Amino acid sequence: MEGRIRGQLLKGTTTLLVLTVLRDGELYGYEIAQRIRERSGGAFVPSEGSLYPALHSLEAAGALEASWQASDRGPRRRYYKITKTGLGMLREHSQEWATFSLGMARAVGGADQ
Amino acid sequence: MTVDLLAIPLSCGFFALVVAAVLLVRRSERRLGRGPGAPSAPRMPGPDGGTDPIAAYLDRMSGELALPAADVAEVRAELAGHLADSIASLEAEGLDRETAIREALGRLGPAVELGRQIRAAHQSTRRLLAGAGGGVFAAGGGFVLGYIGGGFAVAAVAVGIAALMAGLAAAGLHLPDLLQDPHGIGGNSILIGLTTTIAAWAATRYAVRTSASVSHRTPHSVAVVWAAAGGLGFGWWALFGLHGYQSGSTVAAELCIPVAAVAGAFVRIERPLPHSPRWAVVVGLIAFIVVPLVLFAAVGSSGSGSGSGQAASFQASDLHLDTVAPMAPAQWLPDQIMTSGADADGASGATVINAQRISGQSTLPIAPLLSNWRDLRFESWHALPEDEPGPGGIDTHYTSPFAVQPAALNGESLDATFDFGRLRDAGSWWVLLTAVGPDGHRYRLDEFGYGGSSDFSGSAWDWLMAPQ
Repeated sequence: MEGRIRGQLLKGTTTLLVLTVLRDGELYGYEIAQRIRERSGGAFVPSEGSLYPALHSLEAAGALEASWQASDRGPRRRYYKITKTGLGMLREHSQEWATFSLGMARAVGGADQ
Repeated sequence: MTVDLLAIPLSCGFFALVVAAVLLVRRSERRLGRGPGAPSAPRMPGPDGGTDPIAAYLDRMSGELALPAADVAEVRAELAGHLADSIASLEAEGLDRETAIREALGRLGPAVELGRQIRAAHQSTRRLLAGAGGGVFAAGGGFVLGYIGGGFAVAAVAVGIAALMAGLAAAGLHLPDLLQDPHGIGGNSILIGLTTTIAAWAATRYAVRTSASVSHRTPHSVAVVWAAAGGLGFGWWALFGLHGYQSGSTVAAELCIPVAAVAGAFVRIERPLPHSPRWAVVVGLIAFIVVPLVLFAAVGSSGSGSGSGQAASFQASDLHLDTVAPMAPAQWLPDQIMTSGADADGASGATVINAQRISGQSTLPIAPLLSNWRDLRFESWHALPEDEPGPGGIDTHYTSPFAVQPAALNGESLDATFDFGRLRDAGSWWVLLTAVGPDGHRYRLDEFGYGGSSDFSGSAWDWLMAPQ
């Protein structure tokens, strides 16, 4: 699909994307996928199959806390909230990503020249 | 009165351990069982009213999880909610329901792969180590709680049996001594063994359920490890660690301990632990107070390795000593001999038996006196219990001695050492000096012999390895 990032490029970024959208507040799984899609203007569509293992891994690592809450529509939802550990992890991942993307931009830009 | 200051923090720490273990186990119970707080996955009808593809997908995914029941229920509910949202969104975009379901399931990917990835996310090494530590902690608390609860239960049963026995005795019915416990101390060892058996069962059960919960694994997947650890640990303790009075009954009770530890890890391990009803606690508490009073009143005093000395007021015929051998004819034994005994000093605790001329008879040395005799030996025979009415003496159910030692001449005394405390079921015994006379027949040289009683003392292993 034109305008979307290939799945291979998204590998390894799921953690950063999840932590980023959860920095703004509590969300449940489906909302997290939708929020990532919206914030990226449709460029990032994370695999829903990899989203839940990532959420549970982050919860096991103490980066997220989960709680069941009533929903306006449908059954109760499992909401995720970022923790202090998760905020620290987000800072590290953001710095790594900034370094990586800057390097990639230079490398790719240098190749074009 | 002095107060050991160390006892106060130790007691507080002990109490805190039990309380913390109980809280840990109760928290684990919520994870392992569905519990009231665990959400259930909503079942959705299939588009054609037939097999629900969503339920089938979730079933395949759940089959790969191998997580505690509450975790499985949570993952199912979470993914079911996700699918409901995804399908509703796709239907809003114009897809029919069947296509929307197919598309939503396709976005989640293969069910088996999703289940494996979620399981891997839960079952980290860190959680495994935490589960092992939590299991050890819970085992300690479970053992203490099991010991207290088991003490109540065993005491209640003991009271019931005592009441039954008293009732039967009042009706004139006397049951055989199943415990073979003439001195009344085996009952205490059996009660302790059975109480420890319940404690071992509780310990491994608490360990399995806690470590499964903390490590996010099913109880069955960790049960083998805890069964092996509990079986080996409690097995070693039961065989070598419990020292004291031993008999067939006490050893059997002690060997139940490792068996219970293994059973506690497997038997109905998926079921939550029962919560004791209040009436059971009250009955157990009453039994816990009443039983020791009953036992103290019933058991009375008992000794170990004690000798009764000569039963001078009895005739030899009253003691059934001819079962051993006839008395030596006077022409071959002109002077009388007396056998007596004493507890040996030192660590062994063995009993030294000796025979001497009765003083005041003659001045002949003992060696020439016994010159007509050969193969002098002390024979230990099972005897009638001392506390039974009558003079006691040889138990005529036996046709041979249970222990024999050569009589060694030591000055003016013939000596032998018997370690009755390391002989199985020695109980009451009677020792006589015998020898082969000039006519080639064996006679007893001492008219009365010497009686006493001993209890086996040691570990279960000592008892199993001891000669009968």
